[in-house]
Amino acid sequence: MSYSSVFLRLGCLALALVPAAPFVAAQADIPVPKSVAPAKQYSAAVLSAGQSAFLQNCAFCHGKDTGGGESGPDLTRSKLVADDVDGSKIGPVIRNGQGIMPKFAVAESELAALVAFIHDQKRIAESQTGGRKGVETADLKTGDVAKGKAYFNGAGTCSKCHSVTGDLAGIAKKYAGLQLMQRTLYPRGAKVKLTVTPATGEAITGDRVFQDEFTVALKDPTGRFRSFSTSKVKIKVDAPAEAHVELLPKYSDDDLHDLMTYLLSLQ
Amino acid sequence: MSFLNSVTRPFAVAAVLAGALFGQGITPEMLLKPPADSWPAYHGDYSGRRHSPLTQINATNVGGLSLAWAFQTGAATQIKASPLVVDGVIYFSVPDVVYAVDARSGRQIWKYQYPANKGFHIGSRGVSMYKDWLFFVSPDAHLVCLNSKDGTVRWNVAIADANRGYWSTLSPLIVGNHVLVGVSGDFDNLTGFLKSIDPETGKTQWRWDSTPPAGTPGATTGGMTWMTGTYDPEAKLLYWGTGNPTPVLNGPARPGDNLHTGSIVALDPETGKMKWAFQPSPHDTHDWDAVEIPVLVDADFKGKPRKMLMQASRNGYFFVLDRLTGENLLTSTFGPVNWSLGVDKKGQPIPNPKKEPAPDGRIIAPDEAGLTNYRSPSFDPKTGLFIVSTHPSYAIYFNKPADGAFGWAGADYSVWGTGVLQAIDYQTGKAGWTHDLGPTGAGAGVLTTEGGVIFTGDAQGNVLALRTSDGKTLWHAGAGATMQSQPVTFMLDGRQHVVTGIGGVLYSWALPEKQ
Repeated sequence: MSYSSVFLRLGCLALALVPAAPFVAAQADIPVPKSVAPAKQYSAAVLSAGQSAFLQNCAFCHGKDTGGGESGPDLTRSKLVADDVDGSKIGPVIRNGQGIMPKFAVAESELAALVAFIHDQKRIAESQTGGRKGVETADLKTGDVAKGKAYFNGAGTCSKCHSVTGDLAGIAKKYAGLQLMQRTLYPRGAKVKLTVTPATGEAITGDRVFQDEFTVALKDPTGRFRSFSTSKVKIKVDAPAEAHVELLPKYSDDDLHDLMTYLLSLQ
Repeated sequence: MSFLNSVTRPFAVAAVLAGALFGQGITPEMLLKPPADSWPAYHGDYSGRRHSPLTQINATNVGGLSLAWAFQTGAATQIKASPLVVDGVIYFSVPDVVYAVDARSGRQIWKYQYPANKGFHIGSRGVSMYKDWLFFVSPDAHLVCLNSKDGTVRWNVAIADANRGYWSTLSPLIVGNHVLVGVSGDFDNLTGFLKSIDPETGKTQWRWDSTPPAGTPGATTGGMTWMTGTYDPEAKLLYWGTGNPTPVLNGPARPGDNLHTGSIVALDPETGKMKWAFQPSPHDTHDWDAVEIPVLVDADFKGKPRKMLMQASRNGYFFVLDRLTGENLLTSTFGPVNWSLGVDKKGQPIPNPKKEPAPDGRIIAPDEAGLTNYRSPSFDPKTGLFIVSTHPSYAIYFNKPADGAFGWAGADYSVWGTGVLQAIDYQTGKAGWTHDLGPTGAGAGVLTTEGGVIFTGDAQGNVLALRTSDGKTLWHAGAGATMQSQPVTFMLDGRQHVVTGIGGVLYSWALPEKQ
C-alpha cells in the first residue's frame, strides 16, 4: 500500500541491512545468522519505548514485528542485526542511512530502545517452532539442475560473460538463497567504468561515482574525484552488468528456478 | 474543468488579487474556479489535471528561472505534501507538523505540532482548507481542524482506530460542506473506507466501505482510500481510488475479484452512495493500489466529445473511462507488464494465476512500487498529453503457507528499476515522447502550465523544467534530494512562482524581479 520513500527503498534496504551474508532459516542448509552476543533481558519500559519508535519510523518498511514489511527486509534474519552488540552496527545504519534507507535523527535513549526491540524480536522469532516465514535457500531449489545448466550455457546466455569454474566457482558458498537470486537477476552496485574525453586534452578512464543528465563524475586512476558537465565532454560507459537488464523480460519462472537450482548447486 | 476556464487576462488577475487581499480564506466558488493567486486544494482544482493556466514562466524564458526563497523545515522527514496557497500564505505539512509560511518571503508564520503518537510516520500529503479552517490528518488517523490564522486547534476527531492498525496520510478533499477523508492500513486485515465529515462540527456525515467488515467469511479486507480523489461538480460525482486487498501477497486466502479493492469508484458526495465502479487490479496479489489520481478531462475521444477519467495505474495499465457511466474507452500498458492474461470485455486486466507470489518466487513486472505511484501526473490540454513519471521495473514475489493469511503474508524484492517521464497520447495509450529520469526511479509529481512547461524532478536530485511538446530539458537545478511531492504554481504581486518541496526544504522559484 501507500509506501512512502518510494521506489528507492525497495530491494536496496535488503542490501543495506543484509549485506554479503545469508538470510536463511534454521532448518535450511545455511543457518539464520546467530547473534554474536547472548540474548539480553530488557525492561518492559525499554521494549515499549523501542516498539513505539519502531512503529513510527521503521515498521512500514520492516514490518510491525521486524519480520519484513513493505519491501524492507526481515531484520530477524539480518546478518547486520546478528553482528550487532548494543547498537554497534544498527546505530550507524539508523543514523546515517545506508543505500536508499533514509537517515533518522534519534536520541541515544531512543536508539538504545530501538536496538533492544529489534534484538528482542529476533529472539522471539528464533524461538518459534514450525515453519518459518521468509525465503529460505531450500525454497529456491525447485528447478532442475541439468535444465539450469543447459539454460546457463544456452538460451540464458549466462556463459557469454560468466564461467562456473571461473568467476562463479563456488558462488553458492559466497551468496546464499535469496541473495544469490537477487544478484543473478541484477547485480546492484556493480562497478561501471567511464571514459570521459574533454574537447581538448586527454581521455580519462575511471570508476563512475555518479552520472545524471547534467554532470558525470569518476575517480581517476590516482584516486582523485573528477566531475564534468555532460554537455562539454564525450562519455563512453562500460557497464557489462547492465546486460542483466536485457534478460529480465526473457526469463520464464521455470527458467529462473532451473537456473537458481543449478547455481545453488555450485558449492 | 474549472482550471481551464480560470482567469488568464491581466485585468482579471488584478480583480482576483484585490479580492484576495481581504483574506476570506476559501469559498466553494474558489474551489470551483481557483483564482490565479492561489493553489487552494491538493490538486489545485477538482479535476486532478494539475495544469495551470499561468503563462508568465514559459518555454521561452524558463531558462532564466531563479530561486526566490527557500524554507528549511529542519525536519529529517521528507516533504511529501502538496502545498496550499491562499491569501499569500502557504500551508503544508510533514507527519505531526503543519507549517504556515509567507509566500512572499518564505518566513514561518506559525507551526503546529501534533502530540506524539505511535502511528506510521511515513508521510503527510498536505492540508486542506474550508473557509478559514485547515484540515490535517495525523499519523494515528485523526482529523484535526486548525484555525488558519494561528494554527490553534478547533477540534480533533478520530477517523479510524489506530490501535487496530489504521493510519492516515492524505490531504482531505473538500466538496461543499464535506471533508472527505480516507485511511491507510496494510499490516492488518482491515476494512477500507471513505468518510465524509462536517467541516464545522467534525461529525461524520456518511461512510462508504470498500470491503466487507473484517472477519466476513470468504471475503477480502483492504481497499484503503489513502489518496485524494477528484470531483465533477456538474455530474456531482466524486471519484476515488482504492488500495490493494489484504492479506497482501496471499491470493488464495481471498478468492475472486476482491471488490472493491484496486478499484476506481464514483460516489455521490451527499450520500456516499456508489454510482459505478471499475477495477484496474482485480484480485491483486502484488500490492498495486488503484489510488493513482483519477484525472478528469473533457475532450474528444475518437472524434466524439467525452467526459473522461484517466488513470495511469500502479499495476502498469493506463485506462480511459467515460466518467459518467464507468464505461471503458481504452486500456493499454505503459511499460513492462507480465502478470496478466490480457484484458476482459469490461477493459479490466485478467490476472495470471501463475504470477501469484509462490514459495520459490515469481518474477513480476512492475515491482511493488508500481509502474507509477501516488505522485500526481498531469494532463496538458493543448497537446492532449498525459504526463506521468514512470518506473519500469522487475521484482520477485514470495508467499508460502508459513507466511499466514494476515497483513503482508509474504515478501517481495525489487531487483531492478529505472525512472522515465512519459507523455502518453490518451487516444492511443502510446507514449508520444519519453525523458529518462535516472536509475531506480524518480517518482516526483508533475505540473504542466499553459506556458508550455513541465515541472518535475529526476531520480538524482534535480528539479527539471521540460518543454511539454517534446520533453526537452529547458532548465534544471540541483536541489540536494529527490522530489517526493508535486510542484504547484501561483501568481503573487504580478510574479509567477513555482513551489517545490524537496527533502526537508520548500523552494520557491520565479523569474528574476526587474530591478
